[in-house]
Amino acid sequence: MEAYRQEIIVGAVVIYMIFCVITGLWAMRRTKNSSDFFIAGRGLGPIVVSLALFSSTLSGFGFVGGPGLVYSIGVSSFWMIVISSTGYALGFFLVAKRIRMIADVRNCISLPDVVAARYNSEAVRFLIAVTIVLGVMGYLATQILAMAVVMQAILSGTEMFANIGLVTCVVISSAVLIFYCVTGGIIASVYTDVVQGAIMMIAGTLILLTAMSVFDGGMQEATSIILADDGEAMMPFGAAGIMASLGWFFVFGLGLAGQPHLVTKMMMNKKISDNRSILPMSLFGYVMAALLWVSIGVIMRAAVIDGVISPLSLPDDAASVFLSVFTNPLLAGIVFAGLFAAIMSTSDAFLNIGTAAIIHDIPKAIRGHSIKNELFWARVVTVILAIVAASFALYSHFQDATLVAILGAFGWGTFAASIFPVLAIGLNWKGATALGAISAIVSALLINFIVQLAGVVLPYGILGGLIAFVVSLILFIGVSLITKKPELDADMEAVLNI
Amino acid sequence: MRSKLIVVIFTTVLIMAGLLIAIVLADSVPNGAGLPHPEFNGMQAGGDGAARLEHIGGLAFAFQCLLLLLIVCLATLGVAEQRRSPELWAYMGGTLLFSLFVWYQMYSGHQAFLETGTTNYFMGFPVATAWQVYGTWLGAIPLIILYTVGFRKFIFTEEDERKYEQLLADIAARSEQ
Repeated sequence: MEAYRQEIIVGAVVIYMIFCVITGLWAMRRTKNSSDFFIAGRGLGPIVVSLALFSSTLSGFGFVGGPGLVYSIGVSSFWMIVISSTGYALGFFLVAKRIRMIADVRNCISLPDVVAARYNSEAVRFLIAVTIVLGVMGYLATQILAMAVVMQAILSGTEMFANIGLVTCVVISSAVLIFYCVTGGIIASVYTDVVQGAIMMIAGTLILLTAMSVFDGGMQEATSIILADDGEAMMPFGAAGIMASLGWFFVFGLGLAGQPHLVTKMMMNKKISDNRSILPMSLFGYVMAALLWVSIGVIMRAAVIDGVISPLSLPDDAASVFLSVFTNPLLAGIVFAGLFAAIMSTSDAFLNIGTAAIIHDIPKAIRGHSIKNELFWARVVTVILAIVAASFALYSHFQDATLVAILGAFGWGTFAASIFPVLAIGLNWKGATALGAISAIVSALLINFIVQLAGVVLPYGILGGLIAFVVSLILFIGVSLITKKPELDADMEAVLNI
Repeated sequence: MRSKLIVVIFTTVLIMAGLLIAIVLADSVPNGAGLPHPEFNGMQAGGDGAARLEHIGGLAFAFQCLLLLLIVCLATLGVAEQRRSPELWAYMGGTLLFSLFVWYQMYSGHQAFLETGTTNYFMGFPVATAWQVYGTWLGAIPLIILYTVGFRKFIFTEEDERKYEQLLADIAARSEQ
């Protein structure tokens, strides 16, 4: 089997991609209007929503960047994932019920629709839509680039594709992504997410078992090797220190309820009462998949320190080197398919919300109504958005990484700071005002932009995203408290009372 | 009560902002956010842990205590005002105490390691790190139990569902007129 390692890995990835294409064709027949395209007609069952929710949370960053971070800074990066249980819980307590109710009452098909209804403000809709578009471009570009780099690494190991270029890999991977997103919209997206989520859970579990067998003494031997080398790296705050760790706890924990690609999925379930089972199922899936992050990172750091393997050229090589050195080819094939699944499940979610912001929300905020024939334009804009993001990715790789880096700043932290107060608190506090919401969004965007552009480095590893989040919360509540309490429409008043 | 809860949340965030300012202004140490590993490129090391916490340890501990309070307050805000019974407040108080206990065990376990240089292990990790990995991950279990088991009592009761269906019916009737 070892002699066919590369062929097995390529085969697993090809099978996965064929599945995505077939799902797109199947879902096309079920997509009849823009509501189907963007929110699956609010008719999904709890298992589908659970798997879609967690698989969209864990992007390629979790499978590649996560183990790399543990290799690089030790336990510090654990804080991003151990907070997931609190993050999911807060997301359901604060958002899941009311976002679903408002979507029903006002026939909303996007997050900006919901905030516009809540605040009775087109300005809030516009700002949230613009934030989403900027974030989507950065996220998509990095995800597409990651997908292409991994594909090139896999294919170049075979004789037939030994000299395959990065551009070809971007084209192939983007083509599959575009195909199923355009044909089947969010329906294809969530049903591929179901399989993507299952693959990720299986991969996480098998990797943990493999990792525990690398050292005779299991995980404890690995952690004791790291501890003997540098005590702090294996203690709770890791090499990056206490404030970086607590900053991640804050931004990743509270911020989950501010991620547009996740909260939009909370609008798609058939029944509100399904939320009680969606929460534990999503969390269980996430924890199983995240085992990969922790176990590969710890084992690779210990293995390098102990001289079992040579030091890595880059921390992000941790996962791929682990797979090639310590796993059998079949497991490597499953995990590489899982990696594509993680990247694609996040990318399709972003393509969907970005398209909704462009064809539905920004025109509605500016002209008072959305464009005609939304379904047709949704498909056209999905293609354009993916092509632009792929072009950004290539430009970033070959010419100048600055643009994507700036757009990348509109990632998790900016979504958290700009959307969490407006949505998570705003749906639960009738005193929240449009002016408070605008102040929060603008401050979050400005602080993140300034920190990124000026390269501000704060002492003790304090994150710029943490500062933006705290300021945004203060402005949102403070400005709302000192401005006139809004007169809510009767239906909004009723929803906020339930 | 709702307006009081938002004031508690606001005050908590303001104090956290004050703590962040104090930490930014505190004397800095060279390895506050880690140092390049002396031997391996791409790895960071923490170095002297006691020195890293010398100026900000207490402030950071307080910051996390307030963050845990903020999380519990926000979860409570997510429960409709009329469902915030004494039973709920007691449950949320217990959840906060449990989270603070986990945090204290983690922090004090790290302090003990810094003083002695030795540690026991629990399920593959040094004890302080085990509190972080297992304790923090499981720390939200009380909230998840409340949401799933108490869904019909605190989150979306039968009465809420009837009101909601009535609201949808009223809207449908108005749109037909």
